[in-house]
Amino acid sequence: MSKGYFSKWTNLPLPALFMNWKILFPLLRKEFVLEFRQRYAISGIVLYVFSMVFVVYIASIRVAPPVWNVLFWLIVLFASINAVVKSFVQESGARQLYYYQIADPVTLVLAKVIYNTILLLVLGTLAFAAYSLVAGNPVKDLPLFGLVLLLGSLGFSIAFTFIASIAAKANNSATLMAILSFPVILPILLTLVRLSAIALRLIQDTSYTRDIINLLAIDAILISLTFVLFPYIWRD
Amino acid sequence: MWWKILSVVLLVYVFLTGLLVPLKSGIETVEPAAAHTGREITIRFYGYNTFFEKSAESPIRVWLYYDSQYALSASSFTVVNDTILDARFNMPVNLPEGKQTVYLNAIIDHPIAGASLLPAAIELNQDSSGMVAGLPLDAAWTTTPVETLHLQKGFSFPYQNVIYESIRNTYFHVPMWFVLLFLFCASVWYSLLYLANPSDSSIIRKLKVAGRTLTYMVPAGQENDRRAAAYAETGLLFGILGLLTGMIWANYTWGKPWSNDIKQLMTAVALLIYLAYFILRSSFDEPEKSARLAAVYNIFAFASLIPLLYIVPRMFASLHPGATGNPAFGTQDLDNTMRAVFYPAIIGWTLLGFWIANLRIRYQRLFDRAMDLH
Amino acid sequence: MKKYKAYRLITFIVFLAISLPAALAEGNRDFMRETGKINVVVAVILVIFLGIVWYLFRLERKLTKLEHQTKDDQ
Repeated sequence: MSKGYFSKWTNLPLPALFMNWKILFPLLRKEFVLEFRQRYAISGIVLYVFSMVFVVYIASIRVAPPVWNVLFWLIVLFASINAVVKSFVQESGARQLYYYQIADPVTLVLAKVIYNTILLLVLGTLAFAAYSLVAGNPVKDLPLFGLVLLLGSLGFSIAFTFIASIAAKANNSATLMAILSFPVILPILLTLVRLSAIALRLIQDTSYTRDIINLLAIDAILISLTFVLFPYIWRD
Repeated sequence: MWWKILSVVLLVYVFLTGLLVPLKSGIETVEPAAAHTGREITIRFYGYNTFFEKSAESPIRVWLYYDSQYALSASSFTVVNDTILDARFNMPVNLPEGKQTVYLNAIIDHPIAGASLLPAAIELNQDSSGMVAGLPLDAAWTTTPVETLHLQKGFSFPYQNVIYESIRNTYFHVPMWFVLLFLFCASVWYSLLYLANPSDSSIIRKLKVAGRTLTYMVPAGQENDRRAAAYAETGLLFGILGLLTGMIWANYTWGKPWSNDIKQLMTAVALLIYLAYFILRSSFDEPEKSARLAAVYNIFAFASLIPLLYIVPRMFASLHPGATGNPAFGTQDLDNTMRAVFYPAIIGWTLLGFWIANLRIRYQRLFDRAMDLH
Repeated sequence: MKKYKAYRLITFIVFLAISLPAALAEGNRDFMRETGKINVVVAVILVIFLGIVWYLFRLERKLTKLEHQTKDDQ
């Protein structure tokens, strides 16, 4: 390796890490307005969640708590993939060019992540409500379960938003999205299943704060990577 | 060039020593595996790599060992052949610490072959008919403590039950994991370099053809992308080999090929990442876009792999030595003779991996140049 | 034609590598476990060797293809 590499390395065009807060809220509002204008997208996802819950219901009426736990997170996982995958596809090239002019990429991706977190939290709550109705509610520690759901939405939102932005550049983005996100989401998914198993009292473990810290650490790693790497995806 | 020769030299050394150095003596099993107190019993010891018939200046000694305080010595023994030895024991009337059952380790000390130990070889039960309450502990427990054990002289690998000769896989299977790690790290490094400098300047390379030196320019970005892809591909090869060989070894030592072990899971997830990486690369028409997004995904996915090291040990117990996500070995799993082969093995296999990756890079370079000609 | 032959050779080797231990294990149930499980080491080395050789074969095939292409150009 020549010396040149290192001098190049110092010239790394580090993306602007200071985001523009003023533009963040208009961008966030835009996401909500867009969602309500195209109501078919959100209702499609909600219907998707209900159909999956219904399939679980007709396939096996009484579900044992360990199965309940895993099935619930699988439903949330697939609903999340489908909810997030469209976040970069639905907007046209011309409109993206406009955002490119008014906002820096870090602010833009932060707005998307926040919006997707809220969306996934709503979806997760809906799925939980519907699932409890048909398959029973074995949750013993509801506050913990709520916290797990919140942290799960956050983690899923960060990872899926980033992967969706890569997948959106390809033609068959839905397939690519699933392939690319699986290895990335695995640490989060494993921790979530473990934590909610604790909330269901399937495992007796009082040291679950370690898992919550793990989850927060993963989220921190993923969000900082997103901030650093997203400008490279955005630049087209 | 020197490192290719080094790789060959190291691997030849690893193959020769790894396959030819003998295992230390060990006790494979004993018969019967259970006994009662207060009786005389003959126990047959089956040795592995032992030579009981080979006599030396001092005699063979046989013990059943409970802890550093309590041990039973054989009253007499007969050597049947090199690997079978019958020892007679006068079992004491009472067990230490008033227990009902104790597990005794078998120890054979041979002046040349050294000491060998079988953990929990004999289950010794308190015989209720012979039990006398309040009786002081038999003197037999303490009269002949285990002391002045011999060590096997010369170069040999440790003997471990269940593993036996397959301990040699340490030099063939385990380095695959290291090669995979180093190659994937190299891949991520070149992805970083690519993103830092996608297309701007060029690297000057010299090529010697028929005595003349040709100078040509390679766009730095293209070269870095090529390297990232080639290291990932070669890493994938070694990862698959590591996984396959691990499954073979696990099948004959742990009883099943897959057991949600952290190293198995990490390797499987790393392989999934790089399979996804190649699918991503192939799904774009423009080479610049493909290189850029692949580099971004490479860094993102590799970094998200690291938390698994902390998470998986909380869910599944590891069967690998040096557990809790530590890729290194514990001191009792790897003695100095093994280290003398294991470390050269890691270096040798890694250099071989980079050699193969280098061939792949050179092929890709030629291919890209040929495509430009068209 | 030549390429096809090489391909068949590799397939044969891979087939042999997979079926041979299985066949031997069937004849003698403890083939892999006898003599101190040394055959586990043999199997591991065989898999690594065949894996690397397979990769190099593949690379050579690609190189041959490239050679033919560049020859056509000149």
